[in-house]
Amino acid sequence: MALGRHICFAKSSACLSSPSLSFLSTAAHFLQPPNLFFSHKSVKSPLAMLARVSHVARFPGFRRCERSLLHSIRCNASSSAPQTSEKPESKNSRNPRVSEGGRRKKSAEVDSTSSREDIRTLRLKKVEDLRAGGFEPYGYTWDRTHTAAELQKQYVDLPSATEANEEKDHVAVAGRIIARRVFGKLAFLTMRDDSGDIQLYCEKAKLTDEAFDQLKTLMDIGDFIGAKGTMKRTEKGELSVLVGELSILTKSLLPLPDKWHGLTDVEKRYRQRYVDMIMNPDVATVFRDRAKIISEIRRHMESLGYLEIETPVLQGEAGGADARPFVTHHNALGQDMYLRIATELHLKRMVVGGFERVYEIGRIFRNEGISTRHNPEFTSIELYQAYADYDDMMNLAEEIVEKCALTVNGSLSLTYQGTEISLQRPWKRASMHSLVEEVTGINFASFGDDIEAAKNAAVSFFAGHIERHDTGTILKAPSIGHLVNEVFEMVVEKTLIQPTFVMDHPVEISPLAKPHRRYAYQ
Amino acid sequence: MGGATDDGASAVMEGGPEPMSKNALKKLEKAKKAAEEKRAKEEVKKAAAAAAPKKAVKAQQAEDDEDMDPTQYRNNRLRALGEQKEKMKNPYPHKFHTSISIPDYIKEFGSLADGDHLEDKAVSVAGRVMSKRASGGKLMFYDLHADGLKIQVIAQSNYASVSEEDFAKTHASVKRGDIVGINGFPGKSKKGELSIFVKSIELLSYCLHMLPKTYAKGGKDHAEKSLEKKLSEVAIDSEDNKVAEQWHPGASRNLDRYVLKDQETRYRQRYLDLMLNSDIRNVFKTRSQVIRYVRRFLDDRDFVEVETPMMNMIAGGAAAKPFKTHHNDLNMDLFMRIAPELYLKELIVGGLDRVYEIGKQFRNEGIDLTHNPEFTTCEFYWAYADYDDLMRVTEEMLSGMVKEITGGYKIQYHSNGLDQPAIEIDFTPPFRRIDMIKGLEEYSEGKIKLPESLELLESPEVNKYLIEACEKFDVKCPPPQTTTRLLDKLVGHFIEEQCVNPTFIMHHPQIMSPLAKWHRSIPGLTERFELFVNKHEVCNAYTELNDPVVQRERFADQVKDREKGDDEAMAIDENFCIALEYGLPPTAGWGMGIDRFTMMLTDSQNIKEVLLFPAMKPHEDVIEPPVRAADDVAS
Repeated sequence: MALGRHICFAKSSACLSSPSLSFLSTAAHFLQPPNLFFSHKSVKSPLAMLARVSHVARFPGFRRCERSLLHSIRCNASSSAPQTSEKPESKNSRNPRVSEGGRRKKSAEVDSTSSREDIRTLRLKKVEDLRAGGFEPYGYTWDRTHTAAELQKQYVDLPSATEANEEKDHVAVAGRIIARRVFGKLAFLTMRDDSGDIQLYCEKAKLTDEAFDQLKTLMDIGDFIGAKGTMKRTEKGELSVLVGELSILTKSLLPLPDKWHGLTDVEKRYRQRYVDMIMNPDVATVFRDRAKIISEIRRHMESLGYLEIETPVLQGEAGGADARPFVTHHNALGQDMYLRIATELHLKRMVVGGFERVYEIGRIFRNEGISTRHNPEFTSIELYQAYADYDDMMNLAEEIVEKCALTVNGSLSLTYQGTEISLQRPWKRASMHSLVEEVTGINFASFGDDIEAAKNAAVSFFAGHIERHDTGTILKAPSIGHLVNEVFEMVVEKTLIQPTFVMDHPVEISPLAKPHRRYAYQ
Repeated sequence: MGGATDDGASAVMEGGPEPMSKNALKKLEKAKKAAEEKRAKEEVKKAAAAAAPKKAVKAQQAEDDEDMDPTQYRNNRLRALGEQKEKMKNPYPHKFHTSISIPDYIKEFGSLADGDHLEDKAVSVAGRVMSKRASGGKLMFYDLHADGLKIQVIAQSNYASVSEEDFAKTHASVKRGDIVGINGFPGKSKKGELSIFVKSIELLSYCLHMLPKTYAKGGKDHAEKSLEKKLSEVAIDSEDNKVAEQWHPGASRNLDRYVLKDQETRYRQRYLDLMLNSDIRNVFKTRSQVIRYVRRFLDDRDFVEVETPMMNMIAGGAAAKPFKTHHNDLNMDLFMRIAPELYLKELIVGGLDRVYEIGKQFRNEGIDLTHNPEFTTCEFYWAYADYDDLMRVTEEMLSGMVKEITGGYKIQYHSNGLDQPAIEIDFTPPFRRIDMIKGLEEYSEGKIKLPESLELLESPEVNKYLIEACEKFDVKCPPPQTTTRLLDKLVGHFIEEQCVNPTFIMHHPQIMSPLAKWHRSIPGLTERFELFVNKHEVCNAYTELNDPVVQRERFADQVKDREKGDDEAMAIDENFCIALEYGLPPTAGWGMGIDRFTMMLTDSQNIKEVLLFPAMKPHEDVIEPPVRAADDVAS
């Protein structure tokens, strides 16, 4: 079942008995069929909900280049206060361990320039200096023995002011310097890797003069380094690698923002996702969770005997949903092609071919506006099962979401934008007609074919309603089915906060769904 | 790594050095056997004609159907459908409950003794009727296919829950190709064929088209086969529930044996291909297994699967012509990605130390045996590793995969065309390694010598030398004759031709590898390798270039090549360079073409064989059902 929006086609999946199910995993609008609703605030995909964020697309939208990125960075830098570049830590640092007793010297070792371009020049000079000294500032490989998290776990019981320096305590780590404080004969570096942070305790006495000198003069926040040494917990209780060997693995040229504007500078977070990820490890967690969710869905599908297949993105015509497609041109064939807007029709052909259970998780493209809920490309799963019906699909939907929630959150209840949501099964199942009646008090089925009477009823409902609605779309509805859907979108959707299956959509808005068995040939 | 699948298309399929392999022998034997079977078949036919001249009065009906004009056949069926609707009967039931799948059915009841019936055991199964035969008015046989397997359906009027008249009517309405649901009980025929005895049968979905006939092993018709059994009381082998001789990944495929042979029809109407040619199902299962293996392999090593954009402002990360499209709302031209490389490396910059993506790439190029406009790749990036680690991991992944999927390290592949014997490709690790520049010298028997100092590769003298070398050895390199392109053609001619078993060609010159890191000890070269199997590039990998200054220079060189007319040279991606300035740790990156690797394991000579819906030329005619596709086999 393809995903739809507005008055559509797939969205509606009315009276559906077509055994198919689809989910959006990013930038979602609706879930369906039967439409599944979660939260009125903005109808989110379960993925977005599970990840507790509103933006799950890794590189949302596009990166426009009309303005050079460098240019915009410069603008930013010059409009912000000077000396923002290389402070060892910032007020909003997520890592209090960085401060090692609060002895930090404010801006003492700041690169003392405000311009990123100057910093870049300065660091390029450092690259040269390193090479002149026989060091390659862009290393080839590093054999690390532990990640930061592994060390934190392994030495959790190491008491303060103690060292562990037996044979087994010789470790090698690698990561990016995110904080740095240098004193006369002692330096603290905070290193961040994939798994977390660890402090590097660098004593001049333990290092060669050259190495300590390099640390003082050539190493900057943002550089990748490799360190070998033994373990020590400082008097302040900070687990550290007592460094015996230190090398620069990658010299960074641009300074990390000292204070990433996080939520306030959304634009920049998305354009340079990697900077966001460096500054906020939580961002990476969102993407790890995303991977876990998809992986869990795959595992579940496989366990049910579904076969994952790939259907084409480039198509002669874009079918399976009602949405504006992207058009492109294949030179060799001399033919215009469309980017798929759904995988539905191809997957169903495979069921004809004898694959009784198939699914595809893949990218869908719709040439529509970009919003907090819409990205031009997004990922969906569609699945088709022979000999099953929409009841089976509802059960399966519950199962999938339950498994994903447990995998990622370990719990079936979650708080999304301040609202408690329970994924506990079974979820509410209600027909579109009955949901509309619940809110409006109008039974649209009672009008038979009398669309005018139905429209009048709808208009008078809105007239008496506190919230004023534009009833234009209602008057334009070509059928009672469209009208019911319109009213549903206007007044019911926002009331669906807990998981709810919206079932039995009008046939007029569901061209690929089977007429309800109750009304078929009886 | 972009470009994992770009080259190699030009590799000529030449005769391999195997005069008379095991396969050739096998093939001969097979041909002999087929001839014998044909003779036997004819005898059976004669015997049948003599023994039961009137038997097929009822069966006549079915045969008449087969001879009918396709349009008339379809109209007849539409009429039958219409009649159902007029009677307010739903011709497409909403749900049929199956209590057991056909594979499970075979597992559970396969061991019944011949002639055993479990009349108390109620089962319901569903599938497609692929053959129907009547024995008088009160006994019908069907073959019911599902999940690549089949069981026999025996409908006897005395078991049925309806009157004899209704029985006849119901069964007359079921045609070959229909999807039916059956309630009944399990049993084995006296001849030992696992069957379901029908209590009630329900037509679930009409096949409005006439299907080409299907045949079991060696082209034998089911009806004839059962007759043959009757006559000779042949012992039944346990293979009987298989739809036909099963093909396994890694074995050679025999396309001549297919019921539906017409390539156009097979690719345009893949569902018919799947229905009628039993290997196809397994081919696509194998494809799925390949992807699943790669995914599990990387997941087990803590790689995170990510999705990067398929539409970009710039198509970077490889050298290829992109598709262009337009975003209406933003009023902006966009390109379909040609490789995910640059985005994945940005994620390594962002601190995801091990990432991978399995997904579609798009290249606006011609369609041929190894090129489809969209194809699937896997790329992974691994911080703190280098190309040595990658070679080790490549060996581990591919040999492990071949072993798991095919059961051994060696596969059969019709490298030289279907009319030649299949060759054997051996994935036993470790794989051979050939140094590109040294190899060029070695395999040209010293006739191509590049300067000692490889940094000079970019000089006009070397370019001139290579142009002459290409002429001398009759290696075609259409303009622009850049050093990069000339080298590529020569390597194709001299080295790739040597690479039938998996072989790493390594240490490409810097000018051929704008995203790879310069070799730590050999100036002018990079720490890069490509894996070739059967003379085709399968993987492309390198220690990643992470010096932003050098990266900008390399991009600039590419732009120069572009200006010389090489429109496959890479475009500069400023956003990517900025990301590098934030620091990319030492990283190794790897790419593989999933389609081409699947081709090897499925003995496919055409990439379309491993794509469910390959790109096809526009087709103006209305698609006609290939009713007569199998006639040549039948006669």
